[in-house]
Amino acid sequence: MHVKGLAAFAAAVGVGLLSGTAVAQEVKQEKQSVLGNANVPPVTQEQLNAADKNAKDFLLTNGNYAQTRFYPGKQISRDNVKNLHVAWIFQTDVKESLETSPIVVDGVMYVTTSFSHVYALDAKTGQQLWHYAHKMGPITVYCCGPNNRGVQVLGDRVYLATLDSKLMALNAKTGEVVWTTNIADPELGYSETMAPTVVKDKVLIGTNGGEYGIRGFVRAYDAKTGKQLWNFNTIPDSSVGVWATKDATGRDMHRNIQAEKDMLAKIGDPYAKLGGGVWQNPSVDLATNRIYFVVGNPSPDLDGSNRPGDNLYTNSLVSLDLDTGKYVCHFQYIAHDVWDLDAVSPTVLVNVKDKDGKTIPGVIHAGKTGHIYVHDRKDCSLIRFSEAMVPQENMWVLPTKEGARMLPGANGGVEWSPIATDPGQELAYAINLHQPMTYHVESSAYPNGKLWLGGAFKVIPGEKQSGNITAVNYNTGKIKWQVKTPEPMIGGILATAGGLVFTGEGNGKFAAYNSSSGKELWSFRAGAGVNAPPSSYMVGGKQYVVVGAGGNTQLDYKRGNNIIAFTLD
Amino acid sequence: MTEDMTVRNQLMFGKLMIGATALLLMAAQASAETIEDKVAVCAGCHGADGKPVDKTIPTIWGQQAGYLYIQLRDFKRGDRKSEIMQPIATQFERDDMLAIAEYFSQKPWPDLGQPRAPKDVAAKAVAASASVGCPACHLDRFQGDGTVPRLAGMGRDYLAKTIADFRSRARGNNPGMSDLMLATSPDDLAALVDYLAGL
Repeated sequence: MHVKGLAAFAAAVGVGLLSGTAVAQEVKQEKQSVLGNANVPPVTQEQLNAADKNAKDFLLTNGNYAQTRFYPGKQISRDNVKNLHVAWIFQTDVKESLETSPIVVDGVMYVTTSFSHVYALDAKTGQQLWHYAHKMGPITVYCCGPNNRGVQVLGDRVYLATLDSKLMALNAKTGEVVWTTNIADPELGYSETMAPTVVKDKVLIGTNGGEYGIRGFVRAYDAKTGKQLWNFNTIPDSSVGVWATKDATGRDMHRNIQAEKDMLAKIGDPYAKLGGGVWQNPSVDLATNRIYFVVGNPSPDLDGSNRPGDNLYTNSLVSLDLDTGKYVCHFQYIAHDVWDLDAVSPTVLVNVKDKDGKTIPGVIHAGKTGHIYVHDRKDCSLIRFSEAMVPQENMWVLPTKEGARMLPGANGGVEWSPIATDPGQELAYAINLHQPMTYHVESSAYPNGKLWLGGAFKVIPGEKQSGNITAVNYNTGKIKWQVKTPEPMIGGILATAGGLVFTGEGNGKFAAYNSSSGKELWSFRAGAGVNAPPSSYMVGGKQYVVVGAGGNTQLDYKRGNNIIAFTLD
Repeated sequence: MTEDMTVRNQLMFGKLMIGATALLLMAAQASAETIEDKVAVCAGCHGADGKPVDKTIPTIWGQQAGYLYIQLRDFKRGDRKSEIMQPIATQFERDDMLAIAEYFSQKPWPDLGQPRAPKDVAAKAVAASASVGCPACHLDRFQGDGTVPRLAGMGRDYLAKTIADFRSRARGNNPGMSDLMLATSPDDLAALVDYLAGL
């Protein structure tokens, strides 16, 4: 059989396999042509390392390993963005919460949907090249929607983590499954919604489950075989810490340290079911061979009575050695959190000014608290935090049975939404929520993998909610500009060398703003919530901007199933 | 030993033998049981046509498989209490539970003919739902997914009873739900019950 024949045979097998899996899915019309027209060259490590300078492709979920979400192309600019129009619309088979970050490899786009579907599309026309419809196990336990935030390609494989807690490698050309590895037991509350980060033949993945009493982790798997290489428990065996009474900004958290110490003496270290999910991708520092990520809330979210101590490393920035997974440093924002104001939005590596005005390698994170935190990459220490991007009131009042009002509400601030940066302007761009809430506490024992909130956070009916897009100078901590939006924002943002930022809203508006002033320059109504991070790329000499418009489960924004690409002329 | 006793012993032995044989037969039957045999008992309460015979009994036809499995598991473990369901679930192993869950999930969801909630009640319910974020787990239009149940069109009385049981923690196999129900006012919950039943 000659090469062409082999390819056709492989493709035919692929079709058979995929139509088989599709039967058990909610997909109505399977039309995936798993043929060799996903003609994509292998992605090399060198290409990935240089992704920040590559305007043709969008190779990683957040643009590059530093996760700057700064796209270096500038064909679409402040002057011509008013002419931006729809190039194509692709409708996925799944109409549910859409948080995908499209990636683009040499004219082939990979997008994902809720319930862990993957599509390969022609990035120029939107034509479907293949569709992987994941056969979901009956047991899925997840908080905040059946989302999937994307995939990454290394070599000729696409890496996917699924809602039923599996890690998979697919053939980038055909969508065929190459290998599958079980990450953790979904029955105990583990699930996956993040895109893997693949670097140096390692697939890096965290886990969800902080609402279910899991013990969180970040792991590296062998990209070739799916075999686990290392595991880092985000909750160390000794989770007690230093009994911090103040948060990263110096505000008192009203902890009853004596009561916690008494409880510790009674029950011991609560590390085993302490949560600490990792929702978003790590940044990779190629120069030092380290990764940086943030760890989410402790379990149960609002009830601290049975988890004495600082609950390390929840609500923290953590750095590890890429090769071994060994701990390097951490910085905890909120010790013993009882508000679920945790750390979710992915870290970004940029050079920053230290306290003496010296430029050093930095790492920044936008918190649910509404602050952007700026750290020294060497030891994770905090250099500064920004002005609050959202109203803060009554911090840190302790949750009560009847409910205590505090701002921000438990969704933030900045939720999982990735920020963007423009190093030339020293600006970080974040999208925020403003949702006044009451915080309620209830106590219950570990419920075997069930929802374990330890209370409730309630949006206060009648109190006005809103959102904003904020540009912060990370070298001063000052807000440069802010655009108010009518509804809380969730999804993500992209900055470009064309002097623009692109972001969307729950009401379906997708818009471009002048990245220096915040002036709105263009907008489009997508018909469903635009709650996914945009990407940009070039094909056929033209720059495109692409975004998912499928709404959001967590904020109940109107659902849809569109991937929309825009271009000029 | 008197003759009387011997006869009695012989009789007892005979009874035991019959009992043992019956048990063996039952065991043999159990292993050869089809899924239809296994679920036959369910129709008695949950309805031969998927419509529960009593309004406080949940609809299981068309329910999410993951949810049905977890409930069977929890009945067996004793995490969810029910004098009726516990002995039934105790007979099943994990694979049986998964098969039974899959079986019922494939059945069509029955229309219980419950009226739509009036506009003002629906508005109140939607506001209450948004406040604690019900759709974050029960999803759009309360269809559920995986281990989270469909609530749309569930029996009104069952919904009311379940919410009351969550609030009192009589239903103890999901304390997170108890927390959310306790944080919601009885008025709002009454509206939610009418709204969900009528979807």
